[in-house]
Amino acid sequence: MYHLRNTPERVMADSTMLDVSMHERRRARRMEDPEYRLAYERVARELAQTDAVIRDLDSLRVDLGISKAELARRASRNASSVRRLFTASHVRPEFPLIAALADALGADLRVVRRTDTRPAVRDGSAKARAAAIS
Amino acid sequence: MPPRRAARGASSPAHGEQLPWAVIYYQAPDGTMPALAFLDDCPGKIDAEFIAVLDAVAAAPPPRFSGGGKWEAMHGDMGSWYEIRLTGPGREQFRLFCLLENGTAGELARRGLPRPAIAVMTGMRKPWRTTFSDRDYQRVRELGDEHRKNHPRRIAT
Repeated sequence: MYHLRNTPERVMADSTMLDVSMHERRRARRMEDPEYRLAYERVARELAQTDAVIRDLDSLRVDLGISKAELARRASRNASSVRRLFTASHVRPEFPLIAALADALGADLRVVRRTDTRPAVRDGSAKARAAAIS
Repeated sequence: MPPRRAARGASSPAHGEQLPWAVIYYQAPDGTMPALAFLDDCPGKIDAEFIAVLDAVAAAPPPRFSGGGKWEAMHGDMGSWYEIRLTGPGREQFRLFCLLENGTAGELARRGLPRPAIAVMTGMRKPWRTTFSDRDYQRVRELGDEHRKNHPRRIAT
């Protein structure tokens, strides 16, 4: 079921090393399905936005020279919650916590409309999104 | 089944920090690949979401925040494990269990890995508001114990 191909990674891999390209090959094969591709790309955009917000907050914290514990104190939050948030060891960052940390760092969270041509998703079904893009 | 090796080339462990981490899939001694079998059996959207999370984490591995909060370090008996937690149709719960493969260039080479990697071990699913048993988690840990004994690692190629 999993076919071997001469991907660049396979060719580049050292002879003493295992071939670790299965993930890329399987993903490429699955992405040939338009519905799968749409689902992947939608989730990837959502993840990127969440990750960017958390990382930007942490970068701002570092730039301001504030420890995680101090930030938690300023935001009246539990220090372990803040530490877990910035080290990805806690699931589902909660918006109230993110908003509180942004406020404690003197920052605002904003929603900015995209300027590219990707359509807003109005219908949750992959079929509808595929129709909107085509 | 012995691990399949790739052709000669230039990628070395020393380059690991400059590349996204690899994502590898555990292969059991009998040749089965539990994580790939699990993903193949998932609804397409869930599979796509798992892969997107893996790609996000591989691009910005721990301790950086990545995976949109769907990638979580586990605790207790599952310490050193990570899981991706997704909700599917009918609130069915899907979990993918992973280990991190990181270390010095020499240690990675001993494992046969050209760069650090997320080792995807297996997955489980359950109805909403139910729990996995201790035995379920023990089976996951046993896969990890078996995986970590292998030098080089036995992975799907």
